[in-house]
Amino acid sequence: MVGISEEVYREVRDFLLREAELLDNGSYRDWLDCLTEDIRYQVPVRVTRDRGVESEFVNEMGHLDEDYVSLEMRVMRLETEYAWAEDPPSRTRHFLSNIRIEPGDRDDEVRVKSNLLLYRTRGDDPHYDLLSAERHDVLRRVNGQWKLARRLVLLDQTTIGTHNLSILF
Amino acid sequence: MILYQTTFGIKGVSNVTLSVGDRVNQVEQLLRRVKQNIDEGRVPAKIYNDPDIFELERERIFGRAYIYLGHESEIPHPGDYMVRYIADDNVIVVRDEEGQIRVLFNCCRHRGMQVCRAEMGNASHFRCPYHGWTYRNTGELVGVPAGKEAYGDVLDKGAWGLRPVPRMEIYDGLIFASLDAQAPSLNEYLGGMTWYLDLVTKRTEAGLEVVGAPHRWVMDANWKLPADNFVGDAYHTLMTHRSAVELDLAPRDPKFAMYGVHVHAGNGHGLGMISAPPGMELPPFWGYPEEVVRALQRSYPRPEQVEVARRINFLHGTVFPNFSVLNVMIAKDHRSAPTPMLTFRVWRPVGPDRTEVWSWFLVERDAPEWFKERSYQTYVHTFGTSGVFEQDDAENWRGITRVARGLMARDHDLNYQMGMSFLKRDPTWPGPGEAYPLDYAEANQRAFIRQWCEYMLNEA
Repeated sequence: MVGISEEVYREVRDFLLREAELLDNGSYRDWLDCLTEDIRYQVPVRVTRDRGVESEFVNEMGHLDEDYVSLEMRVMRLETEYAWAEDPPSRTRHFLSNIRIEPGDRDDEVRVKSNLLLYRTRGDDPHYDLLSAERHDVLRRVNGQWKLARRLVLLDQTTIGTHNLSILF
Repeated sequence: MILYQTTFGIKGVSNVTLSVGDRVNQVEQLLRRVKQNIDEGRVPAKIYNDPDIFELERERIFGRAYIYLGHESEIPHPGDYMVRYIADDNVIVVRDEEGQIRVLFNCCRHRGMQVCRAEMGNASHFRCPYHGWTYRNTGELVGVPAGKEAYGDVLDKGAWGLRPVPRMEIYDGLIFASLDAQAPSLNEYLGGMTWYLDLVTKRTEAGLEVVGAPHRWVMDANWKLPADNFVGDAYHTLMTHRSAVELDLAPRDPKFAMYGVHVHAGNGHGLGMISAPPGMELPPFWGYPEEVVRALQRSYPRPEQVEVARRINFLHGTVFPNFSVLNVMIAKDHRSAPTPMLTFRVWRPVGPDRTEVWSWFLVERDAPEWFKERSYQTYVHTFGTSGVFEQDDAENWRGITRVARGLMARDHDLNYQMGMSFLKRDPTWPGPGEAYPLDYAEANQRAFIRQWCEYMLNEA
């Protein structure tokens, strides 16, 4: 891990774990505070391709393709009385592992890869949905705090195995 | 006939012990009930979750109707292919070297392996991984490994090509197929609906293109619920999509979707075209940019279509059985102005309580780049897998499907009576079909159910 100190590694790991906790606890306003105002948050569509093809990801089409304002809109929606898809709320659990950190393009940024297993269940149905992905993040230090400046979520499914994405990765 | 079984001393109806004949009778009874009651605006909830109904649908609806497979723009070059479905049937939609689009059953003629396992790509040939039989992208069998040794001279390669689907037709870029060789022409099947599809597909000279690839996801809901929703349900917007109204993504008036025209276009196809609510100014022609608005006035086949489109801000519709269109002017977030966006849907049935959604975003190929980008963002934020409108729709369709599983749903009639007694047809409407001057109506939903019933009872 060239150029990344133990201290930075620990801070970044702590940031990701705290961010996941905020999402799982439904603390969306606090989660928004973890983002830079110029954030780009993307979950590209994936399509099964033959091995020779460079990438299965479709750059032109996202399941989510967000900026700060649209993420704020999604949070504001949950705060209305009419967000039926999440009221009663989904119960989610973000499991993070395989955290890898590299220096970023700027001195105040790092690039972080992590594996995500996202569990989701709703109501009294014992069935659950599992979504698995690799996240490619850029974290930026703003006024001494790490913030999420970029998130690319590379899903392992091409046909998404949950009834909607009213949850965040 | 075993109708009752005694288990632990309790008498009750059990599907497990019903004979095949009983189950057929039960389905027949249910269908007769639907047919009888639809004119009174009553539909038993059971049709939205029943394994026997579903089995029959696979045969009688999806084995016969025209099913949307995709758009020509998804496979622009020779050799481009995409793998699609007609219910369970897996087909390759491919553009051959001469540019002709073909729809081939994705099943090797030797032992039945899929010859194409990617979802899309470009190939001049499809080679089966099992024994290596190789087909040109026209479907023609051109290679059989060790053919001489294994078959001598008796294998007639010309007779063993990949099998084309019985019927394939394209309407203005929309590729449809039917598994029924006796199906009418696509034009006859679509009937009056083409006049309305034109409003969406013929706005500019270059026409529509699919951007990227479709969103695909599965939901635990019956396929007919979204089809019913898109065919005529403007009413749900006031409660289901209230959050979007509160965030100013849609007009401030929660009843905005009432102010439109509700059209049954024939053969179970239907749509609604919604205008600005009273006292509210909305731009004409969905708010499309001036380049597109100028183009459509030349491009629409009939002047009446221009006049109808002038007043549209929101359009929703379903082509029977499971192809839907949504073309609406909404905002991508609470700080942005509304932008028109277009999405096509296929509600692919995978079980009585499970549907795979295919959701495409389309835009005019010759629209300005700034608009394409904005329209794309509007689509992703509001509809599709994560869209804030779409999310709440799925919640409702899942819940209905869940409760329709039980026995009470069999004689539990749902109310399909909206507009029945007092809403009169508009005789001055310039387009085909039966038009009603209010989109809070359920004429389309009733027509859809009638058509469904006719197919299911083999009367269509």
